[in-house]
Amino acid sequence: MVIAPPPAPSSTRPPTPEEWFERFATDGAFLHDSPENLIEVVGILKSYGVVLDAYACNLNYIAEYQFMRLFPFFKYFNGDLTQKRLFKHWWHDRINFEYAEYCMKAMFWHGGGGLDAYLDTPEFAQAAEAAIQARWRGNPVMLGLHKLFPNFMPEQVRQYCYYSGLGQFWTVMSEIFLELSDRYDAGEINDIPAVVQHILDGLVKDAAKPITYSVQLGGQTYDLMPKSLGLTFLMDTGVPYVEAVFFRGTPFPGTISYNAQAYQIPFEQSVFAYGALYADPLPIGGSGIPPTLLMQDMRHFIPDYLMAVYQGTTRQMEDLRIQICESFQKSMFCVTTAAVRGLAPHPLDSTDPEEKAANQKYLQGWLNRLETSRLSRVA
Amino acid sequence: MLSTLIWGPVLGAILIALLPVDPKSPRFRQVALAITVILLGLTVVLIAQFDPSQLSPQYNEFLPWLQFLGLNYHLGLDGLSLPLIGLNSALTLIAVVATKPDQHRPRFYYALMLLLNAGAAGAFLAQDLLLFFLFYEAEIIPLYFLIAIWGGGRRGYAAMKFLIYTAVSGILVLAAFLGLVWASGASTFDYEPLRQHHLPLTLQLILLALLLVGVFIKIPIFPFHTWLPDAHVEASTPISVLLAGVLLKLGTYALLKFGVGLFFEAWVVMAPWLAYLAGVSALYGALSAIAQQDMKKVVAYSSIAHMAYILLAASATTPLSMNAAVFQMVSHGLISAFLFLLVGVVYKKTGTRDVNVLCGLLNPERGLPITGSLIIVGVMASAGLPGLVGFIAEFLVFRGSFPIFPIATLLCIVGTGLTAVYFLLMVNRVFFGRLPDNLTNLPRVAFKEHAPALALMSFILLFGLVPSWVVRWSDSQATELVLRTSVRPTAAAIAPTMELGDLPNAITESLIAPGL
Repeated sequence: MVIAPPPAPSSTRPPTPEEWFERFATDGAFLHDSPENLIEVVGILKSYGVVLDAYACNLNYIAEYQFMRLFPFFKYFNGDLTQKRLFKHWWHDRINFEYAEYCMKAMFWHGGGGLDAYLDTPEFAQAAEAAIQARWRGNPVMLGLHKLFPNFMPEQVRQYCYYSGLGQFWTVMSEIFLELSDRYDAGEINDIPAVVQHILDGLVKDAAKPITYSVQLGGQTYDLMPKSLGLTFLMDTGVPYVEAVFFRGTPFPGTISYNAQAYQIPFEQSVFAYGALYADPLPIGGSGIPPTLLMQDMRHFIPDYLMAVYQGTTRQMEDLRIQICESFQKSMFCVTTAAVRGLAPHPLDSTDPEEKAANQKYLQGWLNRLETSRLSRVA
Repeated sequence: MLSTLIWGPVLGAILIALLPVDPKSPRFRQVALAITVILLGLTVVLIAQFDPSQLSPQYNEFLPWLQFLGLNYHLGLDGLSLPLIGLNSALTLIAVVATKPDQHRPRFYYALMLLLNAGAAGAFLAQDLLLFFLFYEAEIIPLYFLIAIWGGGRRGYAAMKFLIYTAVSGILVLAAFLGLVWASGASTFDYEPLRQHHLPLTLQLILLALLLVGVFIKIPIFPFHTWLPDAHVEASTPISVLLAGVLLKLGTYALLKFGVGLFFEAWVVMAPWLAYLAGVSALYGALSAIAQQDMKKVVAYSSIAHMAYILLAASATTPLSMNAAVFQMVSHGLISAFLFLLVGVVYKKTGTRDVNVLCGLLNPERGLPITGSLIIVGVMASAGLPGLVGFIAEFLVFRGSFPIFPIATLLCIVGTGLTAVYFLLMVNRVFFGRLPDNLTNLPRVAFKEHAPALALMSFILLFGLVPSWVVRWSDSQATELVLRTSVRPTAAAIAPTMELGDLPNAITESLIAPGL
């Protein structure tokens, strides 16, 4: 028996490819431009910026000061180990730095870009070996283990490279997001296209920023990712990060469970996408769903104007993490829009038929990839 | 004192009716709340002062009324009626609390609810058969209006069906009572004197058959049950609570008090058939529940199955099974009211009870996680999981009945196994999985909306852990009901000193006829 089900949330028909082309040609974004979306995106990116900054500091700290530590018990303390902080940590009054490590491992797993390619070269193997020898100098047990299992420690060094790479990437991104918030507060950001433009400008500005990594061991510096390699912010960390975390998948909080035996996972792994842009914000109460660590962290830094929006919803603060996740996905589609714009073969407002055709083909590729994402829910 | 339980709510109903007409005024609800709180307090006092060792009714009130008809205003409280009076007072209060504050036509609604309480209390307290019948019939009227006015889409149909069925029930019960008095040559309808009369077995069988059909409609027992699912589905949540928790118990109360108490020899003859009918009814209710798509219908058919256990226990007529019957009445009253309250919360928040529409309601942030968790507790209690009141009730029923009617008991045990099947099917469909998109904007459930269910849950847990708090009141009376009769001298001999712990021995000693 069905009696008057509650009104479903208003949904509109998702745009057709032609409408998407038109929208991108006129400065539009994946996310529909509305004052509500603007508040959500800017507010959530403010809190995300704060959290990213904390994650980045910790990743850089681990890469620099916890290099090859056998038992890095206090790696989340950034060197500030006090009794008070320890108790706060145990009480879980802290940032979930584990989430940053999940993302790092997702990048490490999925690879891609110049950083991933470099980590498989003899140059890296040589640099890593030198660092390993320096790290365990005078420790015959560890050096003996290294002889027995020669692939283990280099793999650890690769991981520290990713700690550093992601840390540097997020340092830049957090600055972009916090600056966006400042500009919004100053009245300079008034719509979604302006948000996208701000992110795009930030990415372009730092696109060529070098990504380097060296560690100090025994008073000597070991360059594991020297500047001479030419690794850059955008192509060697930014693009692999987006691919790994936004598209391909990570233990992203809220990601739905897939059952391979029920053929829910495609035979071709390359078309299997379950990253941030695809994640279901609703925890379904099934197995394999981690706690929503990122949402838990962001909720501490939500600006008042966004908190007021959340408090005005049906559930008020009861479903705060879901609301944060939904806003976060909206903001990530703005970041994706900036990436799409930045990587387009031609200016998207070009009227040249050939350029227009090339742009449409390029955009269609993105739309195909995003077909199963949350795009239809937020557009 | 007992009259207060009847006339207190009647006066309350009159008071509410005299209040100024203002549908938005909270005074109707406040008055109803105050009266039901007072009634519950009075019931607690009665329970506290009740002497469970006394076999005769206590707090007797006798007033000659229509003596030419043999009708007297005779009230009394015994071990059978005490738990049911407690249930009536507690569930009426809960039903008032569970009523939405902006109830449509509140003056009439709360007045009817109090009259319903008075009717049920009168029936449980009446020590005069005709007086019982009057109250038994009187509660039909407010319930008819409560379904017909505040019910769902098919409320008119459901209310009329309820009225016809229960009116027929009343006629049959009255026919049995009139026949008993006529055949016995008694000049009064008073219960105790009528128990002393001995009628020929054939006549007892005829009168008992009339009474049984009447109460089977009320309980209800298959195949007289069809009014109940309709009434439950169409009734509002508080009325379903009262219907399942209290009003069905009028039938089982009459079954024990009059069926067993007045026609014991005929009861013994019919008992095997009744036991098998209980088994069939339990299985029918359970199998029907499996097929239901409406959560309320699942609980309604579950009621049919669980009420059949009372018939099984009553059929066995051992001291333990009689205690079990009383305990099962209390257990079912608490669990079914608990489940109806929670299904009401689901319906209020989602607008549907369809198990094919609902899904994922246990979602911790956007669903109804506390409601769902409580329903799972209710389901566990209904399925008889240890530690909850349902386990004690069902264990007592099966333990008390198995030595007498093993096959019928096994049928009921299968029925209780099926309880887990239909309730887990419902829970799985409604509460697990992903919350559908059209249910992601459910309103919040305030604590006060769960408060009535939480109060009932505390009793479900409490009586599951300390069953003696129920059994101690009804033990002697339930035992007396089957051991007092003259056909069982050996069992009668042990009755006065028997404790619940002695019951297994009593069962073997009190096994009735070799034919059973």
